[in-house]
Amino acid sequence: MNLFLSQVSAIVWKDFVTELKTRELFSAMFIFALLVILIFIFSVNLSIVKASEVGPGILWVAFLFSGTLGLNRSFVLEKENGCLMGLMLAPADRTAIYFGKLISNLVFLSIMELFILPLFMIFFNIDLIEYLLPLLLVIFLGTLGFCALGTLLSSLASNLKTREIMLPILLYPLLVPIVIGVVRMTGQILAGEPLSGMMNWIGLTASFDIIYIGVSIMTIDHILEE
Amino acid sequence: MVDNSKPSPSDNAIEVRQLRKEFGVLKAVDGVSFDLKHGEFLSIFGPNGAGKTTLIKILTGLTRPSSGTARVAGYEVEEGIPAMRREIGVISHSSALYADLTPLENLIFFGKMYGLEHPQESAQTALEDVGLAPRRHDRVRTFSRGMLQRLSIARAILHEPSILFLDEPFTGLDIHASNVLKEHLQTLHNKKRTILMTTHDVSCGLEMCDKVALQVMGQFAFFEDIKDIVKENFETLYFDAVRNNQFTMGIRPH
Repeated sequence: MNLFLSQVSAIVWKDFVTELKTRELFSAMFIFALLVILIFIFSVNLSIVKASEVGPGILWVAFLFSGTLGLNRSFVLEKENGCLMGLMLAPADRTAIYFGKLISNLVFLSIMELFILPLFMIFFNIDLIEYLLPLLLVIFLGTLGFCALGTLLSSLASNLKTREIMLPILLYPLLVPIVIGVVRMTGQILAGEPLSGMMNWIGLTASFDIIYIGVSIMTIDHILEE
Repeated sequence: MVDNSKPSPSDNAIEVRQLRKEFGVLKAVDGVSFDLKHGEFLSIFGPNGAGKTTLIKILTGLTRPSSGTARVAGYEVEEGIPAMRREIGVISHSSALYADLTPLENLIFFGKMYGLEHPQESAQTALEDVGLAPRRHDRVRTFSRGMLQRLSIARAILHEPSILFLDEPFTGLDIHASNVLKEHLQTLHNKKRTILMTTHDVSCGLEMCDKVALQVMGQFAFFEDIKDIVKENFETLYFDAVRNNQFTMGIRPH
């Protein structure tokens, strides 16, 4: 296997083995997302507003807020015991480190989302089964953009004392285009609109995914340098 | 244009010329120059804040110098030269090991990162070399400082580098762990590995090395062959440098 791919897969393997042993990341993200949804259920009167109108916003707030918890942990684990230094001393391109962490974050967050979706469906009494494929596509596009930018910014914030505060402050404003896109698309999907009617939003979200990944590739070298 | 991706043949494993690193007004490394031949062992002493760690960071490509040049294993030191990083191993006071993984998992991971053909076998061999094979399935989190340092050695030599950088490796070790570490370093030195070590432990540092340097306020106050040094004189100069964080240039520990 190409050395770059083997290094990326080694980082993903290492993150998975660590998570399987500790279960810190998944349990924290899942419980937080569940709590967010529960709080909204009790605070929104679903006899006045339609679940399909408020649902998309609530779903993405749960995904993004709990995902931020995961991103915060992502590079902190690398900083413990100087592990990041060990990674940077390996004959690996810095982008291999970025892509390894990006894939780990993407997979962890996606698994958490797959667990949250059925609960969301039950709590808000929305039948997602018939919209599942387009919804999964939209969730993937949004999660990819979130993780692409979040992985870069968490590597930057991991050097700061106030990293838990700094990551959301840096991340959320830059995520606005993607958040608008995915919330709109999720709303339209729940309203029964076909995917073909939202190609502009898909294009916009996918474009930002590519931009975030491109910017990360260009800047990760400097960000990881001490 | 110079091709930095290929090593230039030289008798020296490390060549440093007028290396400087400034953080604002602070000169962490200030015009350091020296050569270290293949298989030689250099001990660098100096008070805290003398710039020893920064020097190692520059030589290992972790940070860029403000000016000056350095060649390590024939490669111009610059960030992002994977070929140079294959030739070096680094042991510092932080272990660079994942606490929730086992020693075997840690070494397999780093073996994969270094592109080793058989990471599992290499990891097993390295663990046996440092006497940690019986604990290979325990979490690193449960290890003592001495065991962590031995595992750090295994990590650093896993890819069989020709040059080793050790940044205060004796910090926090008890006397038994220090002796074990010393034995490992002696074995590596006997195998003709080039070793550059920073330390505060005068007896350990002088016992093992071929060359001695004293770094004070970023500068090399002297860089001498161990044969030309009287240990007691050196100790006096070193303790004086630590106490006052300064050194009168030109004084020699002969």
